[in-house]
Amino acid sequence: MNAIEVNQLTKIYKTSKKSIEVTALNNFSLTVKKGEIFGLLGPNGAGKTTLIKTLLGIVFPTSGTATILGSPISDFRIKQKIGFLPENHKFPNYLTAEQTLKYFAQLSNVDVKNVGLQIDKLLELVKMTKWKKTKISKFSKGMMQRLGLAQAMMNNPELIFLDEPTDGVDPIGRKEIRDVLNNLKNSGTTIFLNSHLLSEVELVSDRVAIMNSGKLLKEGTVEDLTTSKESYIIETAGNFDSNILLESFDNISIKLDSANKLNVNVKDNLELNFVIDKIRKAGVNIKTISIQKNSLEELFMSLINDERRGEK
Amino acid sequence: MRNIYTISLLTFREALSKKIFLFFFSVSTFVILVFALLFGFVSAESFSGGFVNSSITSFDNSIANGIKMFIIYPLYAGGLFLSIFSVAGFIPTLLEKGNIDLILSKPVSRPQVILGKFFGGTFMVFSNIFYAIFMLWVLIGIKFSVWEANFLLSAFTITLAFASIYSIIILVGILSKSSTFSLVISYMIFFIFSPILSSRDTIFAFINDSFWKSIFEILYYIVPQTSDLSTITTSLAVGNSVDSFNPIIFSFVYIILILLGSIFIFRKKDY
Repeated sequence: MNAIEVNQLTKIYKTSKKSIEVTALNNFSLTVKKGEIFGLLGPNGAGKTTLIKTLLGIVFPTSGTATILGSPISDFRIKQKIGFLPENHKFPNYLTAEQTLKYFAQLSNVDVKNVGLQIDKLLELVKMTKWKKTKISKFSKGMMQRLGLAQAMMNNPELIFLDEPTDGVDPIGRKEIRDVLNNLKNSGTTIFLNSHLLSEVELVSDRVAIMNSGKLLKEGTVEDLTTSKESYIIETAGNFDSNILLESFDNISIKLDSANKLNVNVKDNLELNFVIDKIRKAGVNIKTISIQKNSLEELFMSLINDERRGEK
Repeated sequence: MRNIYTISLLTFREALSKKIFLFFFSVSTFVILVFALLFGFVSAESFSGGFVNSSITSFDNSIANGIKMFIIYPLYAGGLFLSIFSVAGFIPTLLEKGNIDLILSKPVSRPQVILGKFFGGTFMVFSNIFYAIFMLWVLIGIKFSVWEANFLLSAFTITLAFASIYSIIILVGILSKSSTFSLVISYMIFFIFSPILSSRDTIFAFINDSFWKSIFEILYYIVPQTSDLSTITTSLAVGNSVDSFNPIIFSFVYIILILLGSIFIFRKKDY
């Protein structure tokens, strides 16, 4: 059983002017395996938050189906096993940190006997013990975010949705949140992460999906998505006459990255070996050959730009 | 039930956090203290300017009723005015982004959210009103030996009037997400439409057109009958029996229908 299965989900919002429709999700399909950290990336308005809200029954789909932990999303009781940290969440500002967690624990049907211990444990985990009895109206954005994360973990969820969890958190806090996420993953919790911070998603996620205009553009492990199987960097031991060498390849794309680095795009291993043989024959001494790696950000930008060009 | 209780409790706290409810409570306490002091220093006869009736029981009853009337009118109008003002923002606040998402992400059904909000706000108002009425009932009882239980029942009819308006506030809040709009509608019902429609028989004397008579009649059953409940409250306060229970039955049915309508709309909305 997968943690999340989304099948051909479509969500069309009707604006106040009924003639204008906005397609937030367009036949969107996705699978999230149990126990993994799944990162969902996309520019503003891509449909990331709509997807989470649809899965949680906050927004109703126009068509398509989805299941969470094996239950249809229309079954609100499944939410007992789910945690959620929304973007820009608002807690009742007349409550203290402890009262807030207690309230959400009660709504999540957490056993009353364990609530006190769970609150202490989670406040310790998000480094908020000192502010347990403080009214949250006095909290900074970062503190609210930490408390929000604790709130999402109150019911020891099997699946947790985090929408921009590090928003407003300083770099040290971000590192701490990453550690919390890794601990959660180690305890078997599935984490669904929405974030604009690509480098963060790259650091913690097992698999990522990139979406735009309600459509899934690419999905896979971070390793698979950032590794270009056709692109290699060949580093030479000394300088060489690049003009002669580059001219000798008619059908293969070779670019000079620096004085002693060549960027080679090939179809397969055979072609790669052909390139190596040619370079060796030209008397160039090869030092290293490595697979070209792109950052998630580079891939993201390239996919989104391609998509926008396609729309034009 | 547990979810409704939890949301009710939070709504009760939300109400407590609003200074207007504390103001209501403080005013009630002040009035109770004034009467306590007055009853402590002034003899029962002095309330009539020294005139003593031949029947002491009837005299005490009239004085006690006078005091009750003196209390019940401002409590009904003023208490409901303040209560409506403080609950008007409950639904728009609930529906704010970042707040409603969190609540709906919990294993709570949408009807439970609405019922929790309704019971929490209603219980808060009932507590405030019952506190004022009960304390005055005790003071009047001690001073004049008049222990009229009907006076206590008036707390329920005042709360019923509030609840029927609060159900409208919930419906309008869900539809408009605006506390100002909810407030304006509620005050118009409470201070304008309900009193006018309640005295429709008097108005009919000046209208011959049956069409307008029908309109008034229909509106009477669409708008909460708070003015009729006010009449019942006054009767109960002075120990009289209730002439017609129709406004009470109507208000209960009205609240149920409006809440069902609110739940129906709330269940279909995206947030």
